[in-house]
Amino acid sequence: MSDTLTNDHAALAGQRRQAAAEARRLKTLNTIFELRAFIALGVLIIVFSLLSDSFLTVDNLITMTKHVAINAVLALGMLLVILKGGIDLSVGSIVGLSGVIAGELLQGVHLSLFGVIAYPPVWAVVILCVAAGAVVGTINGILVTRLNVAPFIATLGMLYVARGAALLISGGTTYPDLAGDPSTHNTGFDWIGGGRPLGLPVAIWIMIILAVLIAVLLRSTAFGRWLYATGGNERATQLSGVPVQRVKTIVYMVSGACAAMSGLIIASELTSAAPQAGDSFELNAIAAVVIGGAALSGGRGTVRGTLVGAFVIGFLADGLVILGVSTFWQIVIKGTVIVVAVILDQSQQRFQRRGAAASAVAVAAAAEPEPATAARSDR
Amino acid sequence: MNHPGRRLAVQAAAVMAAGLLSLTACGSSSSDAPEGASASSGGSSASSNLIAIITPSPDNPFFKAEADAAKKKAESLGYETSVASHDDDPNKQSELIDAAISRKAAAIILDNAGADASIGPVKKATDAGVPVFLIDREINQTGIAKAQIVSNNSQGAQLAAQEFVKGMDGKGNYVELTGKESDTNAGVRSKGFNDVISQYPDMKKVAVQTANWDQQEAFSKMETILQRNPDVQGVIAGNDTMALGAVAALKAAKKTDVVVVGFDGSPDAIAQIKAGTMLATALQPAALGAERAVEQADKFIKTGSTGQPEKQSIDCELITKDNADQYGVFAKL
Repeated sequence: MSDTLTNDHAALAGQRRQAAAEARRLKTLNTIFELRAFIALGVLIIVFSLLSDSFLTVDNLITMTKHVAINAVLALGMLLVILKGGIDLSVGSIVGLSGVIAGELLQGVHLSLFGVIAYPPVWAVVILCVAAGAVVGTINGILVTRLNVAPFIATLGMLYVARGAALLISGGTTYPDLAGDPSTHNTGFDWIGGGRPLGLPVAIWIMIILAVLIAVLLRSTAFGRWLYATGGNERATQLSGVPVQRVKTIVYMVSGACAAMSGLIIASELTSAAPQAGDSFELNAIAAVVIGGAALSGGRGTVRGTLVGAFVIGFLADGLVILGVSTFWQIVIKGTVIVVAVILDQSQQRFQRRGAAASAVAVAAAAEPEPATAARSDR
Repeated sequence: MNHPGRRLAVQAAAVMAAGLLSLTACGSSSSDAPEGASASSGGSSASSNLIAIITPSPDNPFFKAEADAAKKKAESLGYETSVASHDDDPNKQSELIDAAISRKAAAIILDNAGADASIGPVKKATDAGVPVFLIDREINQTGIAKAQIVSNNSQGAQLAAQEFVKGMDGKGNYVELTGKESDTNAGVRSKGFNDVISQYPDMKKVAVQTANWDQQEAFSKMETILQRNPDVQGVIAGNDTMALGAVAALKAAKKTDVVVVGFDGSPDAIAQIKAGTMLATALQPAALGAERAVEQADKFIKTGSTGQPEKQSIDCELITKDNADQYGVFAKL
């Protein structure tokens, strides 16, 4: 009697150990998957550093990060929209529109009513451009929430409308010199693209600040929880009293404002604004979010992942330029990386489900002999 | 959703939208009184005095200058004009040509949407009795269009490259930025550059990248190239837009003594040449080619012949600081 009991105990203990080991193994794998974007980035950096001396220098890292920032700013806005289960195809056009508005404003606004030309200062230009982007985003949001247009269609329409508006405002031409004129007190626009407070380009600071703000928004506010919930199960979220429509409109608004910010960075770097700037940038932004592990169906994705996704795309592009690889190959390689990222993402999902099952077994086995307190609090 | 009335309304709206679109496509007609041109005495059966001008998107100032020049010339000769853009979409181009045929245009001035894809539509118009005059870009067949007037890209590229070599004293490291690799002109210009520069053994090409005719792409690629090759002394670009992107990147890297040469002769590039940040550009006389095409169309309509060979090329001109004042928007002042 006591023998069988001991045997049972031994068997149970063995089972428990096995289950725990399995759970640990899966957990390790899961962590590797979770870090895959980081690992990809690490591999990229190592490979490029081996192939070229000029890759891993402080100066080059800063230059590349500056290039990454343009896409990352777009991608952070896009992340919010994708978390909600939507998509924003209009961001590339908003980039162009924002630059053109900046160009128009810096050139001087003819107020025919008063017969004067007003030169708004640079800070006002920045605010107006970002506001314009937010307005365009809000229109996207209203189309999606109030008029029930599918996000893909609504923002596809806006892709054309915003680009057309940029061409109309500019008359199809490029605004050549945005440096401003001391006599009209509107100089300093080129600081956004060329300034280096504390040794880092302004574009990188914008990316960092935006990333921190959005991370806090997602992690520590009700809005963040509502957003994840909306993306996970919109109907249930709505029934539990969350203002789903407002959440959805706000994410499009933020995405539009981010795009406008990105447009300002580009226009400032070039000190000129072309209406066709930002063409197909929306795809790069979506790619960054996806490589960063977000689900296009919504509800899953992080700021950290999206940033790393943007770095992978940017470092890959610049690294291939440094190596002198043909553009055709650059395009093929970029496409492959995106698809591989999604494939890995799918297997991660599978592992997570198995991992969850295995740890449930482990917990259940651990709970069996002493069903008292510990297990319950575990649940 | 499947309510029949609603579906009908949607269909009606779609039809109206399509109507509106085609209206805009044929927009900007001007109906100046036709005097000089009593049309249709030539070999064609055209019965209106409309000249249809079809170009790529005017968001590139080059095409805008071209379309504007053709319109102005045609109106001064007493024709009505319609200006439309095919946005480099062969399908849209085909529709615009159909529209010109059905309006019985007296002639079509076309900057086409593809050397092969445009053969069919040009033939369609010719068969319908509407003569087609090609500008800026050729098609891969002769004997259909009445004229193919293009600027000499190869000569222009060599001109620009000679000035580039001179500016670098025949030696040093340089970068080449090429245009969209699927565009014939990108290849022709690149070959023109290299034919000249390869004669100078001390000129070393340290990097070649395409920037797809795009300023922002040229900017970021130039910044990256500078990381690997900080000692670049020259940049030669397949068009001015990319040259301007390189200028911005060089300025950001505080490199002021780098020789930059472009192609096209755009107003922005001329401003940079005057300011000394660019050395030179090769001007494609867009306005001249368009005007010549309209003149020949006029002659053809009146006499049944252009009096010129089909293939004609217009030489490019070099713009440097010395003569920059003499040039306006893609034309000599």
